[in-house]
Amino acid sequence: MSGGRWKRGALLTGCSLLAAGTDAARAAGTRAGTVIVNTATATYDDPTGDPRTVPSNVVELRVDELLDVAVSGPAADRTANAGAPNQVTSFIVTNAGNGAEAVRLSVEAALGGDDFNPTNVRIYLDSDKDGLFDANVDQLYTVGANDPLLTPDGQQRVFVVADMPAGTDGARAQIRLTGQAATGTGAPGDSFAGRGEGGGDAVVGSTGADADDDAFYALSAAVVDFEKTATVKDPFNGSEAVPGAVITYSLKASVSGSGTLRNFRITDVIPTDTKYEAGSVTLNGAKLTDAAGDDAGTAGASGIAVQVGDVSAGASNTVTFQVVID
Amino acid sequence: MTRLFFTFLAVASPAAAWAADAVSLTSTVLVERQKLDAQGRPTVALEEPQVVVPGDKLVFHLNYRNAGATPAQDFTVTNPIPASVSFTAGDGAIVSVDGGTSWGRLAALKVKGADGQPRAALPTDVTHVRWTLASPIPAGGGGQLSFRGIVK
Repeated sequence: MSGGRWKRGALLTGCSLLAAGTDAARAAGTRAGTVIVNTATATYDDPTGDPRTVPSNVVELRVDELLDVAVSGPAADRTANAGAPNQVTSFIVTNAGNGAEAVRLSVEAALGGDDFNPTNVRIYLDSDKDGLFDANVDQLYTVGANDPLLTPDGQQRVFVVADMPAGTDGARAQIRLTGQAATGTGAPGDSFAGRGEGGGDAVVGSTGADADDDAFYALSAAVVDFEKTATVKDPFNGSEAVPGAVITYSLKASVSGSGTLRNFRITDVIPTDTKYEAGSVTLNGAKLTDAAGDDAGTAGASGIAVQVGDVSAGASNTVTFQVVID
Repeated sequence: MTRLFFTFLAVASPAAAWAADAVSLTSTVLVERQKLDAQGRPTVALEEPQVVVPGDKLVFHLNYRNAGATPAQDFTVTNPIPASVSFTAGDGAIVSVDGGTSWGRLAALKVKGADGQPRAALPTDVTHVRWTLASPIPAGGGGQLSFRGIVK
């Protein structure tokens, strides 16, 4: 007998036993290896009327490890330019069991029913847990070498990075990330004797200890053409670049091809030896404030940024701002 | 000093203590398992717990027996609910929701809610169960008490 075994303990001797295991309540349930200890006490009066107290035996029950994994992918398509390398999608892998468990990851890109297959598909772990992919910081994942070890309810963000082939606008590719408990997977209720955390068994939970979720890449064939011009107006109504002259920069972004660019953003830095002219940013002729949060524009001594939004092919947007030469 | 000495004796030689106590109390625990019978219908079976995971339903049995020659009067059994078990039901028991200080039927008890106001106690609030037998246990008599819980 192994795992949640029980013991018909000897008489309660008033010591130890109570300290076994922890009782922290978690979403994932009692931590694997915790020992549930039960004793009862009876009291009665003997024939002479004296009260007597009798303890029961001690029953001990060890909680086994439940193996459960959850994987959650992005809700929306990841728009990627046709032919672009290193396009990133992200997933969250959760240990839904009650013991520390390493999770084995795999990604499948050659699924049927979609329009194309991304190539050079890799998995990275969000090692610095900042939610952003950085190839210099985040670890490339290799099965069995750096399986993320997750505590109960623990999560790991995982990036799938892939190269896009050439293709038509709107073509979609499906990829699937799978997470499996390293101890084992199977039908709910299957158990692995003695393999659970804390010395008990490991038991496959309702997820089969095997979960996956899908993400989609959607190709965009839209192409951006950027044009930056500058006009100078000096204090003497001329166009000499002298101290005190105002330079108006114009940034025109034209989208051609087909499809839509999502979350399009135009940024620029303030050139050295110039100062930003407060309140001078415009988008398509309309003034924007410098403050963040109130409209599409933000600006300051270091640079300007305008959040244009989704831009379809055929549209163009022009941002202007002014600086004064020191 | 004498008292301490006797306590030590009781621990060191439990057999001697049992001899003095005519009544014995034995605790066992079983786990509920959903099974399919020969016709494929779901049935519930009670089994010795080989494997226990959070969410499993447990049934605790307390068997009492009076091996003495005389009846045992005012027989009461108290069982604290183990920390990792959430109480669900106890046949004929009164319960405590405050660590054994006050007792009553669950429906009559209140606890302080998250907002600081008293609310009706729930089974998950129960910390102890207790049974008091209405009549003495006759010599040679015995019986069984039980309560149920879920592994948190």
